Amino acid sequence: MLTSGPIVVMQVPEVLNVKEVDSFMEELGPLLESNRPRVVLDCSQVRSMESAGVEMLLRCLEEVLKRDGDLKLAALSPEAEVILELMRVARVFETFQTCEDAARSFNAIPADAVPQNTPWYADVFSELGVLKQAS
Amino acid sequence: MLSAIIITERVEAVEGKEARSCAGAWPVPWARIEVLGKSAVARFVDSLREQGCDAVSVIGSNPGLGASANGSTADYWVNAELLLANQKQEGFDSFLIACCGAYVELDLTDMRAFHDEHGDGLTRAIGPDGPLDLWMVDASRMSDRDRIFPAVRNGNSAQYPVRGYVNRLVSPTDFRRLVVDGLSARCRLRPHGVETRPGVWICEGAQIGRGSRMVAPAYVGRNVQIMEDCLITRGSNVESNCQIDFGTAVEDSSILSDSYVGIGLDLCHSIVDGSNLINLRHNVTLEITDPVVMRKIAVRGGDRRPWADIERGQMALSAE
Repeated sequence: MLTSGPIVVMQVPEVLNVKEVDSFMEELGPLLESNRPRVVLDCSQVRSMESAGVEMLLRCLEEVLKRDGDLKLAALSPEAEVILELMRVARVFETFQTCEDAARSFNAIPADAVPQNTPWYADVFSELGVLKQAS
Repeated sequence: MLSAIIITERVEAVEGKEARSCAGAWPVPWARIEVLGKSAVARFVDSLREQGCDAVSVIGSNPGLGASANGSTADYWVNAELLLANQKQEGFDSFLIACCGAYVELDLTDMRAFHDEHGDGLTRAIGPDGPLDLWMVDASRMSDRDRIFPAVRNGNSAQYPVRGYVNRLVSPTDFRRLVVDGLSARCRLRPHGVETRPGVWICEGAQIGRGSRMVAPAYVGRNVQIMEDCLITRGSNVESNCQIDFGTAVEDSSILSDSYVGIGLDLCHSIVDGSNLINLRHNVTLEITDPVVMRKIAVRGGDRRPWADIERGQMALSAE
């Protein structure tokens, strides 16, 4: 396992069957329980994935999203790509060519670069304010 | 009298050098696999009979075993040579020798006329992109000591250009192309079953669940069970005795006989045979180990071997 600051990069095993899922989750599980977990799963070695493996990925995604984090898949092997497409979950995950790209994507948009739009209700409330004043 | 001898192995296997491609990994030659209700070999046999070929013999290995697994591909040629010697004595004066592989729509009369006019007793069929493993040879040209394969392969032959449709069937892509060409009437390969509406064929015993859609061109084979809310489309063929489970979409794909495809899947640009899957877009072959997703359906009686349709009706000789 390789960690880079708060971003965790983990290698997914070659075969992701029920047995491998259990041992993989033993390692990954505690990391998902941190505050705003940011996880990259390196899928370059995946050669075979059972439905238990796909379920595990979905469960992990659910966990990190619950804690305001994110999980991204990187370097998908053709086998992994085929299985995720087959099981209709390919579009659920954000995928990247390399782990570096995936890790970088967590910091792609710095907070101060996000335009500070006024909320949608601001205009309505300002109008209400005008009406109140008029009354 | 003309006799056809068809060897149901690729020439690469006969020569002991299997292709190392995605297709090479497939245990059975594509020509022996059911396509729109019948294998290309069986269709070739039918076509030869319809065109008046006096005898058609099919020689091959045990289905399901790769040529290398059998270890004695040379035996096919030995059997072919024995057969040829016997038939020479019975009075057959010319032979059509084919190593199964390509799907060829051959005009036998035309080839015979060409052979009589041009050849020195040996004619090889040529497709649009090169020679085919299909020869016509006079009995007089073969001495009893000749080995058939070197004799036809290395002999000086006239080159007969096949005018009909040719698909070499060397790769899974070729197989898919044959399916699509058959469904779109680009060749004479007609799907079995009834065309229930333009471009949609359904064979006897097939059950289509409520809410399932068949969008042309599509083919559903004998005794196939399509559960509720499935979609079969874009030139997909589901061959005999398959089961497609609830909500699965099959698009631009072939499901070979006796395969189960699980619930809620999205199968695109693929060929499935039991638990084996070839994805043509990613050029990858996978074995799906999860039986909930894909598996081979156990044979429920009857002969489901790839060439059973030939054996039942027409096969004259089979090498064990």
